[in-house]
Amino acid sequence: MSEEFEPNIVAFLCNWCSYAGADLAGTSRMHYLPNIKIIRVMCSGRVNPLFLVNALQQGADGVLISGCHPGDCHYLEGNYFARRRFMLMRKLLEHVGVDPGRVNMSWVSASEGAKFKEVIDETVAMAKEAGPMDQFRRRQLNW
Amino acid sequence: MVDEKNLRDKAKEVLERDDVRRLIGWARGTYGYESAPVVLKDASEVDKLIFDPTCVQNPASFITLEEKKPVPRGQEPDTRKVAVLVKGCDSRAIVQQLVEKAYDREGVIVLGVPCTGVVDRRKAAKMFGDTSEPVEISEEGDKYVLTVNGEKKEAPKAELVADKCLRCRYPNPLVYDMLVADEVEKWADDEFADVDEFAGQTPEEKWKFWEEQFSKCIRCYSCRNVCPMCYCVECVVTKQKPQWTRRATDISENTAYHIQRAWHLAGRCIECMECQRVCPVDIPIMTLNRKLTRDVKEMFEYEPGVDVEAEPLLACYNPQDPEEYIM
Amino acid sequence: MGDFKFAKDKMAEVIGALKDYQVLAPKAVGDVLRFQPVEDPAQVSLDYPNTNVPPKELMFPETETLFKYRVGQTDIEPEVPDASARRLIFGIRPCDALAYTIVDKLYAWDFPDPYYQKRREATVLFGFACSEPAANCFCPSMGGGPASEKGLDALMFDVGDTIYVKTLTDKGEEAAKAMGLEAAGEAQMKAADAQEKEALAKIKRTLDHSGIPEKLPSLYDHTMWERFSDRCLSCGICTFLCPTCHCFDIQDEMEGFDGRRARMWDTCMFSEYTLHTSGHNPRPTRKERTRNRISHKYSYFPEKFDVIACVGCGRCINYCPVNIDLLDILEDVKKAEVKEAKTA
Repeated sequence: MSEEFEPNIVAFLCNWCSYAGADLAGTSRMHYLPNIKIIRVMCSGRVNPLFLVNALQQGADGVLISGCHPGDCHYLEGNYFARRRFMLMRKLLEHVGVDPGRVNMSWVSASEGAKFKEVIDETVAMAKEAGPMDQFRRRQLNW
Repeated sequence: MVDEKNLRDKAKEVLERDDVRRLIGWARGTYGYESAPVVLKDASEVDKLIFDPTCVQNPASFITLEEKKPVPRGQEPDTRKVAVLVKGCDSRAIVQQLVEKAYDREGVIVLGVPCTGVVDRRKAAKMFGDTSEPVEISEEGDKYVLTVNGEKKEAPKAELVADKCLRCRYPNPLVYDMLVADEVEKWADDEFADVDEFAGQTPEEKWKFWEEQFSKCIRCYSCRNVCPMCYCVECVVTKQKPQWTRRATDISENTAYHIQRAWHLAGRCIECMECQRVCPVDIPIMTLNRKLTRDVKEMFEYEPGVDVEAEPLLACYNPQDPEEYIM
Repeated sequence: MGDFKFAKDKMAEVIGALKDYQVLAPKAVGDVLRFQPVEDPAQVSLDYPNTNVPPKELMFPETETLFKYRVGQTDIEPEVPDASARRLIFGIRPCDALAYTIVDKLYAWDFPDPYYQKRREATVLFGFACSEPAANCFCPSMGGGPASEKGLDALMFDVGDTIYVKTLTDKGEEAAKAMGLEAAGEAQMKAADAQEKEALAKIKRTLDHSGIPEKLPSLYDHTMWERFSDRCLSCGICTFLCPTCHCFDIQDEMEGFDGRRARMWDTCMFSEYTLHTSGHNPRPTRKERTRNRISHKYSYFPEKFDVIACVGCGRCINYCPVNIDLLDILEDVKKAEVKEAKTA
């Protein structure tokens, strides 16, 4: 059997909505793809877009940032700032030649376990299509 | 057209004031097609000032470059003002620095210089060769007249002028305390055609281009140091605890550095193009910055460096902001 | 030693004949020239003033691994270059070769640096005399010249359709034989002499540096430094592109359990240059750092090694974005009035 490429996705989930949503997906025994590695942050507004660049350097094939729906941020405005930032960062990375399917964002609330599963499926599918991230990965071989 | 005598007289008036510490402008270079920035401390030095198409540098960068040394005990800090001569594009840097509250409006005196374009020294060197003598350039209609090694040469302005000038929308300073010459007509529009052309390529083509460009980078940080908007006391690329970007000059770190810088200029880059001019290995840095400038304009209807009353782009939001790709 | 020649249109063959050497020659990416390993000998062209990045990167790379390590293991193997892996730098200018002789002294000083020294041992320098000096060259003032032989194993002259090759050392002779060169005649040697005289006459900028190394320490508190440092960007272009500058930083990089210790170019112009861990910085502003750089090259280095650490290549002048001109600074140094030294 040939080895199919399994992408490594780093997911930044906001504590109050998306992380709880992921938790709900888990407790409801919904099977979602194991490719994601979750980092819990208090708010999507905490995520520095440079984390994405660093993640891609360290071997992530795709990144997901997920927060509360606009208007429902636990800290009132964090996700609005995050939305602006990631719209721009995605455009910038696209201009450098990074497949836009690697940079993903979603609004998942605490009750949307099913949506979380779909978001993960979609993210992994797009990263699979983009292929292994080889462009500016830190290479041990270079040493 | 700027009358140099008028410029020097106005500069003299400003430097003679008690509350002015220094004046930043341009002086004749020691060779070639570019001027040298100069910082004057005394009114007797104003004869060094010039203004002609060799004045490419952005004096606004020097306002924030000045280090704030701790003051010895018993001494008062010198709070006198800094005066600066700026062209249209340079003045946008001052506007944006004021928007970000880098300093008080009362701390600077801005002498505005309406500009009709500056020469790109690479184009000039290709046309007339390198020279060990400073070149004087004047404008006559749509031609430049240059004195190269004692000989008079002519060239059409459009062939020698810097690329940024061909799409200059702000030849007149946007903020000033006084103008040293009459305002000029706006002479171009910017359709961002170059951005569209680059963006139309496939991701593979784009990456191939950038891989070649970023491999040249020697991480001298000239682009960052000359940028009027890069004035952080501790820059993220030189931060050691923790270290974001390694100092090794491999493709991974070089790419990360350029993405970081372009990102930190999102909604702040005022397109003086100095970063691209100073790069010793000719990396087309502005290709990245202009993409964000265009997208910021389209998505958020925002233009940096134009309105002193504006808020910084990423410090505010609109509940109706676009979210085209968000799941 | 020997006098050889080859026809210009046979250059690809001559380079191709060097099977035992890795040949490095100037290559252009856009307008930027750097020394790169030759992949296609037919692409080599010697029609160039000088490279942007000096060939110091061939002896002292931008980034190099000193050794690799693994957490938990105690043995480390230094990754010293192989002195027997022969290389030939084809077309290096005399100023850059002179720079090697200056930096050699430093790398053999208190710690013989094997990384640099092994590369030097393994490399043959085939120089290329300058017929058209660039606008800001001043190599004759610094002990070099458009046809200076210092530091070179062989020197090539472009004398029309032929390249005249003068071998200067055994290594050069060996390489010339490997290239299969034929003997040169009087005509080529005369043409080379004439070219050198013409090139010397074309050099416009000069510097009389007598007395400067002794005078500099007494100008420590002088206000002349502000005239230049006020517009300095601390960008470091002057140091990165200088063939004699040699500052480096050493950093450890980890990926999981594996790591490497790497050395990379650093510059005395950055504000972090002498930043102490305590936060104190004895050279906090550009004035101190500009003064330090000039004093190092023109006073502290000659004090230790009897040679000024400058070869007159002019790159610092050509590439400084704010027109800080080294010769301008040194003229000021010569004119400056020395004030009475403060007594303790």
